[in-house]
Amino acid sequence: MASLRLQGLTKRFGDVVAVHELTLEVPSGELVALLGPSGCGKTTTLRMVAGFDVPTRGRIVLGDRDITADPPERRDCGMVFQHYALFPHLTVEQNVAFGLEMRGLRRPDVERRVGEILERVGLGGLGRRYPRQLSGGQQQRTALARALVISPRVLLLDEPLANLDAKLREEMRFYIRSLQREFHITTLYVTHDQAEALVLADRVAVLMNGRLQQVGAPEEIYHRPRTPAVAAFIGLTNLLPGRVTGRSGERLVLETPAGTVRAAGAPDLREGMEAMLSVRPEHIELDRPGEPASRDGVNRLRGVVQERTFLGSLIDFRVDVGGGVLLRVQGRGGAPQRVGEQVSVSFDTTAAWALPRREG
Amino acid sequence: MSVAEATVAPARPAGRVSGRHLLILPALAVLVVFFVAPYLNLLLISVMTPSPRAAYLRVLTLDNYARLVRDPFTWSVVWHTMWLGMATTALSLVLAYPLAYHLARSPRGARGALMVLVISPLLVGVLIRTYGWMILLQDTGLINQLLRALGLRTVPLMYNNLGVLIGLTHVFIPFMVLSIAGTIQGVDPELELAARSLGAGAWRAFWRVTFPLSLPGVIAGTVLVFVLTVSSYVIPSLLGGFTVLTIPILVVRTITELFNWPGGSALAILFFAITLGALWVYLRLAGRTGRTT
Amino acid sequence: MLRRGERVWLNAAVALVYAFLLAPIVIVVLAALNAGAYLRFPPEGLSLRWFVAFAQSRSFTRSLAFSLKLAATATVLSTVLGTMASLWLVRFGGRLRTTLRILLTAPLAVPGILTGIALLIFFYALGWGKTGFGGLVIGHTLICIPYVFLITSAVLVRFDQSLEEAARNLGASPFATFRRVTLPLIKGGVISGAIFAFVTSYDEFNISLLLSGVGNTPLPIQLFDYLRFSFDPTAAVAGTISIAMAVVVVLLTQRLVGLESLYMGGG
Repeated sequence: MASLRLQGLTKRFGDVVAVHELTLEVPSGELVALLGPSGCGKTTTLRMVAGFDVPTRGRIVLGDRDITADPPERRDCGMVFQHYALFPHLTVEQNVAFGLEMRGLRRPDVERRVGEILERVGLGGLGRRYPRQLSGGQQQRTALARALVISPRVLLLDEPLANLDAKLREEMRFYIRSLQREFHITTLYVTHDQAEALVLADRVAVLMNGRLQQVGAPEEIYHRPRTPAVAAFIGLTNLLPGRVTGRSGERLVLETPAGTVRAAGAPDLREGMEAMLSVRPEHIELDRPGEPASRDGVNRLRGVVQERTFLGSLIDFRVDVGGGVLLRVQGRGGAPQRVGEQVSVSFDTTAAWALPRREG
Repeated sequence: MSVAEATVAPARPAGRVSGRHLLILPALAVLVVFFVAPYLNLLLISVMTPSPRAAYLRVLTLDNYARLVRDPFTWSVVWHTMWLGMATTALSLVLAYPLAYHLARSPRGARGALMVLVISPLLVGVLIRTYGWMILLQDTGLINQLLRALGLRTVPLMYNNLGVLIGLTHVFIPFMVLSIAGTIQGVDPELELAARSLGAGAWRAFWRVTFPLSLPGVIAGTVLVFVLTVSSYVIPSLLGGFTVLTIPILVVRTITELFNWPGGSALAILFFAITLGALWVYLRLAGRTGRTT
Repeated sequence: MLRRGERVWLNAAVALVYAFLLAPIVIVVLAALNAGAYLRFPPEGLSLRWFVAFAQSRSFTRSLAFSLKLAATATVLSTVLGTMASLWLVRFGGRLRTTLRILLTAPLAVPGILTGIALLIFFYALGWGKTGFGGLVIGHTLICIPYVFLITSAVLVRFDQSLEEAARNLGASPFATFRRVTLPLIKGGVISGAIFAFVTSYDEFNISLLLSGVGNTPLPIQLFDYLRFSFDPTAAVAGTISIAMAVVVVLLTQRLVGLESLYMGGG
């Protein structure tokens, strides 16, 4: 196995900068998810790694080899395309054998390895079918088998689950994860689906407008976003503007339009700086006012319920906490608060996360 | 491995860049050498001096054009050609539109079969189809045999404008159908339903909704058929006999029978100019009515 | 949408136009199979005597063979050149795309008879005189290229390029990718293009009229000369052969690419 390193990768299409100075490492055997909204440059990045687009600047290093200028066929990257790109005129077996034939393997070896991998992905017995005779999930597994059978040094996946229905998508997530672990293959996984990225990846790289926003373990990305854009993109969150006015132990003290709040925060935040406060709806609790007084380590604000939406297992509230701030709060199903009711809103100081206002 | 930052785009291997252009080169060469160059040569010869002893003299002159433009005979042939073009275009439009409408609104399976009926005549050589018409139209042909059997007078159907018109219309209907059917298919049938629910009869719903929306196809089709008609040679010469003279026929005679290359070339160039001019006028008129309706 | 009564009128009108379209073609076949020298009502019975007459006519069989040889040559040339050009134009056309598309289809837009004249004069100017077979091949290739180009382009536009990327990704060189993936998938379009080219060349009249000479007479020119003096049904046999060919072509094209793509698919 080999690590994949992107160094200062930049791609311009005319005046449009699709990818800007992207530096990223996929360590050997790890799965890194490249996550971002559509048009953020993630697919362009993948295409540059595969050799379909030529970078304007920067380098791509696989293991100890610079592959920036290599043609696609000499890169040893297995790729699974968004629409699978299975050859419609070839059977499943012939599709999977294609890469091995290109490598000049002898017929018996090709047959043996194709048989093994088809067995492994659960397509034994379907080898004689044509792609159009397969279900979406089977096509997906054929594409995976075709990419894996050549024992590539790196596996590239371009939104591989985007064309499956919701239930199958969830199943395939775990399936891909287990295959990747088993083959212990360095993997770059492009997706716009944050849940997919969080479930699958060892590390998540968030890309926006062609710029890398943050790289980290899924939990770090979720709980400790480095920019407001990342916080807003990953999961649901409430973002409140504020100013750092001091420190209280390990916590920062922020003045927000809704009142004073204590919060954990990025280490580079100092007193007097403009900040953004992120509080996730599921971390906020609603009580009737006057119930158990403020404990240490808990922020408490007063508000009025503006909207109440029933979502089944959850109830979605919008609470006006003053200063023009509407907080989104998720209460358990059966939460008794009504529209117009006075409530108290509370969340742990560790659940509130302050980050610098300026985009990073 | 050197870790110095690469600042320039890695160059593609040179072979790949020039290699792909080899794809277009042969076709381009054939077209430039054997299509563009011959026409430029034609243009050049049209300003050379005719000579009874050689193909032409290398003396530049505009006399060929001046002679053509001053000769009323030229204009009678031009007028005849344009008249045939307009009459054929109008007739094929009237006959082709119902066909196109029917084709576009047929269920998918039937459409394939109908397409076969429309396209097949296109693939039978013009000469063969003309021959078919000769069997039908000549004085002793099937139609006149029928008239005689019914005790009626026979009608001259061939070696006149009527025969040419029938033959040309027959040849160009498929082109008209194909141009129009595409746009009708793009018109949502529900629009007509909407018009009828608002109180329009079938005819008015068609005339006020579908027809205006199919105009782009009608314009494309009429332009195509007009151009093809005024350029045609076989049908006017076989079905028209010696009575029908069009510009292409005159060009061929001037060059292959009178051996007047400069004069024939000038007439050919004049033909292009007149055809383009006629199209320009037509498209302007079409554009104007398109805007007012 | 029409109600039943309205539909009857439309169908009647449409049937009449179809009858008009097919009449001369049917008549040619009937004339070839008719026993008499003239088509008459009632017909004088079926006979193959005109087919025999056709087969025994030296001038007809010679020009039939010549036409087939000419069409085959022009088909090979125009199919290769047209397919290559459409590959280039669809993939890498860039800024020149529109201009080149117009140039490649231009031979269809200008009168064939004038192209014939221009070529005739051009060949003389080059000192080639009547070039016989070579000149005819050039002229026919010119007329056939647009058909191949248009039909293969229609197929290529719909071609999913990620299939080629997948092949490259699996280690195939550009050439291997073309041979193993692209070509098998666009084969239908290329074959239809070739078939159209063949029929176009086989039936081509205008260019042949000007460029053919003694000993180099394609069938349509032979027929043209024949029809000026005689109506005897030997000509109808040649027509019937051409019609049979057209039927085969239409059915093949319908199977391979679908006729609708000829006016819808190209976009």
